[in-house]
Amino acid sequence: MIKTPPYLKPGDTIGIVCPSGYMSPSKMAECIRVLHEEWGYKVKLGRTAGSESTTYFSGTDSERLSDLQDMLDDDEVHAVLCARGGYGMTRIIDGLSFKKFRKQPKWIIGFSDVTILHSHLYSNYYIASLHAPMAAAFNDAGYVNRFVQSLRSAIEGKWARYTCEPHALNRTGEAIGELIGGNLSLLANAVGTDSDIKTRGRILFLEDVGEYLYNIDRMLYQLKRNGKLSKLAGLIIGGFTELKDTERPFGKEVYEIISDIVKEYDYPVCYGFPVSHEKENYALKIGVGYKLKVGKGRVVLEE
Amino acid sequence: MPSIPPYLKAGDTIGITSPAGYITLDEIRPSIALMESWGYQVRVGSTIGKRDFTFGGTDEERADDLQHMLDDRSVKAIMCARGGYGSVRIVDRLKWNMFSKQPKWVIGFSDITVLHSHINHNLGIATIHSKMCNSFPDDWAKADDPQKATIDSIRKALSGEKMRYEFASNPFNRAGSTMGALVGGNLKTLESLAGSSSNIVTKGKILFVEDTGEYLYSIDRMFWNLLRTGKLAQLAGLIIGGFKVKPSEDPAEEFGKNLQEIVLEKLKETDYPVCFDFPVGHQRNNFALKCGARHKLAVKADECSLMEII
Repeated sequence: MIKTPPYLKPGDTIGIVCPSGYMSPSKMAECIRVLHEEWGYKVKLGRTAGSESTTYFSGTDSERLSDLQDMLDDDEVHAVLCARGGYGMTRIIDGLSFKKFRKQPKWIIGFSDVTILHSHLYSNYYIASLHAPMAAAFNDAGYVNRFVQSLRSAIEGKWARYTCEPHALNRTGEAIGELIGGNLSLLANAVGTDSDIKTRGRILFLEDVGEYLYNIDRMLYQLKRNGKLSKLAGLIIGGFTELKDTERPFGKEVYEIISDIVKEYDYPVCYGFPVSHEKENYALKIGVGYKLKVGKGRVVLEE
Repeated sequence: MPSIPPYLKAGDTIGITSPAGYITLDEIRPSIALMESWGYQVRVGSTIGKRDFTFGGTDEERADDLQHMLDDRSVKAIMCARGGYGSVRIVDRLKWNMFSKQPKWVIGFSDITVLHSHINHNLGIATIHSKMCNSFPDDWAKADDPQKATIDSIRKALSGEKMRYEFASNPFNRAGSTMGALVGGNLKTLESLAGSSSNIVTKGKILFVEDTGEYLYSIDRMFWNLLRTGKLAQLAGLIIGGFKVKPSEDPAEEFGKNLQEIVLEKLKETDYPVCFDFPVGHQRNNFALKCGARHKLAVKADECSLMEII
């Protein structure tokens, strides 16, 4: 059985860290306010959250590592929110100790670069974590939208039920399985490492941002050639946004690329699910069992 | 020991095919003329002039053309016309039984790294990493020295000359001398092969890597992939070729480490020789290398050399 961390109660503490890129205090101020004033949690800021770093990263590798490690091990912290992604988790993940965390798991929250930590926790320790909006999503009244609100519901322990519109390329059907996935570039980069994703019998979801179409194709071939697409229970394709094309056009839209690659299988597939680098980004519990129903009229994903 | 395909003799045939991006016959004419001037015959594959958007024909067409070249006993070497993207889409369709019985030289770089790595890993047959048809000068008489020298290195490799390169030392180099079979190619492509049946095997070998158009953070992440998949732990030596880095779009997002620092920090637990600025990559100075063949790499304070050995 997957280990599901305890859900949060009012007054519990959420630790905030920046394990990857730097984020200015002003950009996370609204998130901190909402977590505390509106949602009723205490907030504990890590040393990398709003640090004085002047580099790309929020701190040196050892500063980011020790900050995240302290949050994982701190008895007073009940969940850890990664304030932003960027790049950098890969550089510290092999240095993290999960000795205490395994016995006392807590929700790790984030997406994009945090994908690698989700995959690492699931593949090695079978602990559930939360793929969800991060601090910037709270800004400009974003916290009232249903996507940031889905994060709130998730940490409170409410069972999720999401729906989305059908897409012409969808393959209808029903699937039940543990949900895994995240950012395609990160999952491709982790293939063959200790953080490699396990997909057999699971519902896989993928999203990405800012990639070339040919590179999306290549990364999907990498997953396919590693046997990671053949035995899925189901496939959820989220947003693939801000994509680029080469001078000689690739000749296919991104969803057509994906559809071609999985056409030889028969599990249900849906396109355009709200998980992405845009506002449309529902909280998804990695490792938790879900039912995916891809119907002609509607797509439903429920815990 | 890797199997070395027969070197070419006068009158032998070189086949040209495009397993990745599309190219016209006009674009490869200079390469045909030059290879003919070397005393070889040239056979133009069915993918030349074919186009399926970015590709030199559909997956089927590209696989068929390459398969035909692999199986045709009268073709002694296969020159890939250009890179681009597409080799990984056809590599699992290819049958290697004829090729492994009667090996021949497969030539190219960049996206063709898929074929180098696949052939090296699965068949242990040497291949040539070099410029392709699209890099031959339009007019040989007017070509400058680096153009001539790099293209001529292909001729030398095919004719059986032992490869020998001397190149300037970089202050970041880690000195030493080592021997091993040469493997490598385009870093992004190698990363995308991790875990697959074309995965590169590096233990005891001299690894070379090059790349172009990638951000520093992405290059860093690719070296982490090599490190975390155990590919840097037991090398005989490491050769860093050309890396054309894509500048960060946002000055506030400067990565803060240069290429040399990115590489060397991954190698703290190793002590094999490392050199930077080897003339291989998406650049004018891109010399032919025999992947799979044994080489000696000598990295010294004043000068470096890479030499093919028996």
